[in-house]
Amino acid sequence: MGLQKRKAIYVEYAQAVPLKYAIDADNCIYFQKGKCGACKKLCPAEAIDFEQKEETITINAGAIIFSSGFNPLNPADLDLYQYNDRPNVITSMEMERILSASGPTGGHLVRLSDKKEPKKIAWLQCVGSRDMNRCGNLYCSSVCCMYAIKEAVIAKEHSEEGLDCAIFYMDIRTPGKEFEKFYNNAKEKEGVRFIKSRIHSIEHVVNTDDLKVRYLDEDNNLQGEIFDMIVLSVGMETPKDIVKLSQKLGIELSKGNFCKTSTFNPLETSIEGILVSGAFGGPKDIPQSVVYASGAACAAGEILNSARNTLTKTVEPVPETNVIGERPSIGVFVCKCGSNIAGVVDVSKVVEYAAKLPFVDYAAENIYSCSQDNQDGMAQLIKEKGLNRVVVAACTPKTHEPLFQETLISAGLNKYLFEMANIRNHNSWVHKDSPELATLKAMDLVRMAVEKISIAKPLSEAELEVNQNAMIIGGGVAGISAALGLANQGYDTYLIEKSGELGGEAKKIFKSANNENIQKELLSLIEAAQNNNKLHIRLNSSIVNVEGFVGNFKTVIASDNKEESIEHGVSVIATGGTALKPTEYLYGEDKRIITSLDLDKKFINNDNSLKGLKSAVFIQCVGSREPNRPYCSGVCCTHSITNALELKKINPDMNIFILYRDIRTYGEKEYLYHQAREAGIIFIRYLASDKPNIKIENGKISVTVQDTSLNQYLEMEADLVTLASAIVANKDQKLAKFFKIQVNEDGFYIEKHAKLGPCEFATDGVFLCGLAHYPKPIDESIAHGKGAAAKALTLLAKKKIRTSGTIADVEPLKCSSCGVCVSICPYSAPSFIPDDARFFAGKAQINPVLCKGCGLCVASCRSGALRLKGFDNDQIFAQINAAFEEAA
Amino acid sequence: MSDWEPKILAFLCNWCSYGAADLAGVSRMQYPPNFRIIRIPCTGRMSPKFILSAFKQGVDGIWVSG
Repeated sequence: MGLQKRKAIYVEYAQAVPLKYAIDADNCIYFQKGKCGACKKLCPAEAIDFEQKEETITINAGAIIFSSGFNPLNPADLDLYQYNDRPNVITSMEMERILSASGPTGGHLVRLSDKKEPKKIAWLQCVGSRDMNRCGNLYCSSVCCMYAIKEAVIAKEHSEEGLDCAIFYMDIRTPGKEFEKFYNNAKEKEGVRFIKSRIHSIEHVVNTDDLKVRYLDEDNNLQGEIFDMIVLSVGMETPKDIVKLSQKLGIELSKGNFCKTSTFNPLETSIEGILVSGAFGGPKDIPQSVVYASGAACAAGEILNSARNTLTKTVEPVPETNVIGERPSIGVFVCKCGSNIAGVVDVSKVVEYAAKLPFVDYAAENIYSCSQDNQDGMAQLIKEKGLNRVVVAACTPKTHEPLFQETLISAGLNKYLFEMANIRNHNSWVHKDSPELATLKAMDLVRMAVEKISIAKPLSEAELEVNQNAMIIGGGVAGISAALGLANQGYDTYLIEKSGELGGEAKKIFKSANNENIQKELLSLIEAAQNNNKLHIRLNSSIVNVEGFVGNFKTVIASDNKEESIEHGVSVIATGGTALKPTEYLYGEDKRIITSLDLDKKFINNDNSLKGLKSAVFIQCVGSREPNRPYCSGVCCTHSITNALELKKINPDMNIFILYRDIRTYGEKEYLYHQAREAGIIFIRYLASDKPNIKIENGKISVTVQDTSLNQYLEMEADLVTLASAIVANKDQKLAKFFKIQVNEDGFYIEKHAKLGPCEFATDGVFLCGLAHYPKPIDESIAHGKGAAAKALTLLAKKKIRTSGTIADVEPLKCSSCGVCVSICPYSAPSFIPDDARFFAGKAQINPVLCKGCGLCVASCRSGALRLKGFDNDQIFAQINAAFEEAA
Repeated sequence: MSDWEPKILAFLCNWCSYGAADLAGVSRMQYPPNFRIIRIPCTGRMSPKFILSAFKQGVDGIWVSG
């Protein structure tokens, strides 16, 4: 990013996969002047190839997914912010690097001009977003509010002497799951200041490196405040080359140069067979990108269904040698890793040492243990020397253990008879100034591995058939989309719906943000489900009981008083949400005070009463962003604006007021907000502490609200008041218990991982989509449904699952049936053997399929009845005993 | 006593701290060599017996991280 100098051979970033170096040809002396080539002479692996050329490769594909991403906006052209002239004006991406432990300052928060720790930092929002005048990007980039708040909170954590953080914003947009809580926390507990404002200019403070932010506050008064540093919250843009490529291919783009999609086909471009995921389809954060990526994979799978498995090959398994009862015979391979290890550690000394350790029958060194020829050689040696255990002293097992285990398997050895000694990442790389001590440490690390593996036993992996049926619970748009995603790929899918028809909440909605007729589109989605012979719909059905686990569920459903038992391998929870019935603003006392969905109903029914309206008021955040429901319902701002514009169509002279707290038309929904203001709809901001007041006198409704920009109370008459009521989860504790899944305090299900696992649960084989996860509009629900289907498919496609070998195991004779393991396990792996069992009734047992091998139950077992295979007590004791054998 | 260095034994969770120790290596961060790491599948695996046993072996400090 230009914050720091790097060499002409570099790794892109510390977590890069693969972790390989690349040559920066623009700055390489060899490429620029044809001389040098020192790297080629020095590299012992001969990995430098100056002759590599760009190649054009032709791939035949049945579907293409565009995940081309975005570029952070370059603020250099926006003179206002002085990004080019002032070193202490940086972008949010640069701030990320400064806050990062692997960044140029090692995570130490300093400003660039004088490397001093700042005391005051300002974040300026909407740089290059929601800005028609300066950069032409009218859309909202969706993610910047949240990342600015995150950076401010982290910056405060990093600061040693106290830091003042101020965020200058137009609307704070935190509609994502758990985001509103984070915002409230930043404001109330962390003391981040939020200043609603418009930026006028940035001035350099003479004789200092400080900067003065001049801004118009909410009352339109010009204010100024001095900061040490300014962070520009830059927006997202589609890269120019992708815009060109799209135009060349004929992919239709939106006004903001994102890929144009529709509400019911959020993953499809305008060209059949070309799909879209990630920020190319509109600004997105990480969980959204993960959802859309999984969704696009599902959509591609549907297209390619007929070609499935036509190009796959199977590997012939090598029979495993039985080593039980044999004396351990250990082979130790010490890796030089070029000079990575050998440059610090005396490898030949380590080999010499290893050769003398108990049960070691072979010890040798390799330049690169991981190279293919060395793998072949190792397999050969295992067979020739009759080795029955292997230790590789090299890099980290986290990246290389699977590779070496494959080599053991190819030599007919159980893969759990393998251990790595990490003498690179944990030794040569971190002790480069103490080669002698590092060599002694390497000896100890090898000894620890040898001692551990000498008492290891071969472990088996249970194999389990995966039932090829799927069950989707909930027949709203998310559930139908998930069901179609699976059924279209040939899996028998049961769609369970508690009401008498499919469609869920979408049945009540009039138009989408893109002005599409929801009912028409919904009907064709439902018809597609009804006409699919792999999709088995059960209406008026409820779940009576669920037994089993991943790959083998058995669910009993009751439909119309008859019960049916269905076996299935995967389950998708799509139980949805509903609109809150408001308990304030006189709702229910007058038929002119209605909810957003009530208004949709009037539109759908072409209600005549709408034609005579002269004034309408919309009240936002009814039941959302409240102390007892502290989340944002995400869809209501867009919904109210869409409906307000519909009312304007009926009567352009109608006076329409939208009373809001923050307008959250994220992404390209921002156009609607713009359009609404142009159409004369009046937006009035109110504070949560002073909510609008509504009263009915002489048959007339009047709404009073304090306008925060005028600082005075306004009273308006309303022929219609629409309350944008919250989305609440269809909380179902019984279902949660059946599938062993968790519900958060707002009633929404807790996904496996907030960022990386939004479509699945921590419980294997159970997946999640739609409003049951969190409020979202129809397009996002459909993408989420497809995403859950894709995740379910990865399991179904395996047909068989193999459990890990390193899992817990019970010695029933020692078990006292106390039940601690049963209650403590986060994955529900332990259970009691049924009372009517012939042996060990009432004792604990471990389901190897569910066990993740964490060892929690092992450590908590009071009777010592549990052990963790591969990390057994005696193995860990052996490591402890060997840890400081040589280097004391 | 000036050249005395404590012997420190670390029990690191495979999924986080062990990976962090790997990353410290990738980033070439330097720390003293009187330090050994035992990889455990999760700190849930930790047993007080391991700590007592290590102290009995003459280890001066123990770090459990996960």
